[in-house]
Amino acid sequence: MVQRRNILMLSWEFPPRIVGGIAAHVHDLSRALAQNDLDVHVISLEFPGSEGYEEIEGVHVHRVDSYNYPSPDFASWTFMMNLNLQAKGIELMRSLKGYVDVIHAHDWLVATAAVGLKHLLRVPLLATIHSTEYGRRNGLHTDYQTMIHQTESWLSHEAWRVICCSEYMASQVSWAFGLPRQNVEAIPNGVDLDKFKAKFDRENFRKTFASPKEKLVLFVGRLVYEKGAGVLIEAIPKVLSNVDAKFICVGEGYMKDVLISRAHHLGIADKVYFTGFLDDPTVKLLYRVADVCVVPSLYEPFGIVALEGMAARTPVVMTGAGGLSEIVEHDKTGVRVYLNDPDSLAWGILRVISDRKYAERLTQNAYRKVVEAYSWSRIAERTRSVYERILREYEKGSWKPVSI
Amino acid sequence: MRILILTWEFPPKIVGELALYVSRFAAQLVKKNIDVYIVTHDDSRTGFDQRQDGLKVLRVANPVRTHISVLTWDLTVAAEFERASSDIIYSTARTVSLIDAHEWLCVIPAIALKKAFDIPFVYSVHTIEDQRSRGATSPFNLAITNIERLGCAEAERVLVKSTEMRDKLEIRYGVSPNKIDVVQPSSDTWIDDIVKVYENAVRTPLEDFWRLVEA
Repeated sequence: MVQRRNILMLSWEFPPRIVGGIAAHVHDLSRALAQNDLDVHVISLEFPGSEGYEEIEGVHVHRVDSYNYPSPDFASWTFMMNLNLQAKGIELMRSLKGYVDVIHAHDWLVATAAVGLKHLLRVPLLATIHSTEYGRRNGLHTDYQTMIHQTESWLSHEAWRVICCSEYMASQVSWAFGLPRQNVEAIPNGVDLDKFKAKFDRENFRKTFASPKEKLVLFVGRLVYEKGAGVLIEAIPKVLSNVDAKFICVGEGYMKDVLISRAHHLGIADKVYFTGFLDDPTVKLLYRVADVCVVPSLYEPFGIVALEGMAARTPVVMTGAGGLSEIVEHDKTGVRVYLNDPDSLAWGILRVISDRKYAERLTQNAYRKVVEAYSWSRIAERTRSVYERILREYEKGSWKPVSI
Repeated sequence: MRILILTWEFPPKIVGELALYVSRFAAQLVKKNIDVYIVTHDDSRTGFDQRQDGLKVLRVANPVRTHISVLTWDLTVAAEFERASSDIIYSTARTVSLIDAHEWLCVIPAIALKKAFDIPFVYSVHTIEDQRSRGATSPFNLAITNIERLGCAEAERVLVKSTEMRDKLEIRYGVSPNKIDVVQPSSDTWIDDIVKVYENAVRTPLEDFWRLVEA
């Protein structure tokens, strides 16, 4: 009989507590792992109105006190709330009579709890590094950033193996932390195709954003420099001189005012619609009614936006920055344009808008690729095989929770 | 009896008086037939050290070298203390029966070890944040105060050197005086009194959990 594996996941956010992208990742991954016959326990932080323990689609979710006492800064708070995560981890592992096979930590935010648990109970540790301080800040400029960087490095060295969301990130993590490249696995993020299947009144919904004669060009992302929204604004007049289109920019960011005033200056303000934040179901529908989805990023650890466009069967035009080039193949599953180049971006947009057959071929290939490589069940399988590999190696060794 | 002493300073790393105090009293414990392991911090002289006075010292460095405060330093080195202590506990077939944690800096690993191995700990309080910071109430001081309060709550016994400190802990942290032992280093029965505190704190170790893991 094959023994059921128990996985203990540590994450500082889990729905309904959503701060960044880790919550959705851990939610989707843990559900898919549970469907893959694994017992997954997620320890995360409390959220007003949510339960201390609940089972969500086969996943055991434990929420602990998030340390609400005074703390001088974010990092100190993080390390303090780790005490609560760790205490819960010990309690859980003891209640499971030692049958926790792997501890799976997500980012430095749970590093001290995870490393402590690993050694206290001698259970192998796996870490997913979603992004690095070095990448987020484009270098290390303060003691605070260096401290976070060293914590990330420590976690990745304590981990048996490290998972990153792209080859690009895997190589960055290996370089930044001096970690052997063969210790790092690139397993992409996934996309839930069911979220793109809701029934809706297409014409009516589309009318809210663009008139029927306008092509709809969609940008989803934070309005910040590295997402390339500025490049898109510069490309818009070049597109409009050929076709009539409406540009929908979903997201917020410090560049919003600059972008709006630039749109006025270029005389295209009536053709750009800054929607701000939109709820997830609405964004999914927007992907489906869009004629083209643009990803003009200058820096991108993974590029989930491109993947969501592909899942919605909308042609994708992207720059190939970071992880993007691993998701989209030029001329096959999307169009790749030059980085930071409005002319090239405009060309890419026009290329798919003006050739219906070409666009259709791209979307068919892209959708097939999403099903093959980016379904959560496929990602759960790959993650599971990393657990199995770690456990095979662990079982051969002498590092065990028994006397030596 | 086999015990584990946690201290953030120990010779040759000497910051304040704690290093010499611990080294002096731990050496006396060895003479009373107590097997003493010390886990402590040192930036460079890491590893195991069997001293001539019988003390076994394991020194660890903080894997996170750059810090913004002693608080972040402490909260990260705690995991390294947990690693070193766990290694000692496993390599001695879990026969460590007590942990003596000195000052707030060692409270966090002591609590983790207690929860993981059912080993009770004595919290040895030399000073408290109120005295060191003259009652400062910034979030930084309050976070340390909170760790001290946690240490008093989770410890089996709290060990202090004066009745004055005992009263402070009672008033400031609400610790029951019944939980606090006062042992003055100047007393003739200094070490014997400490040993009595230890014996008082030791519970029956090894819960079912560990028997299951062994089996």
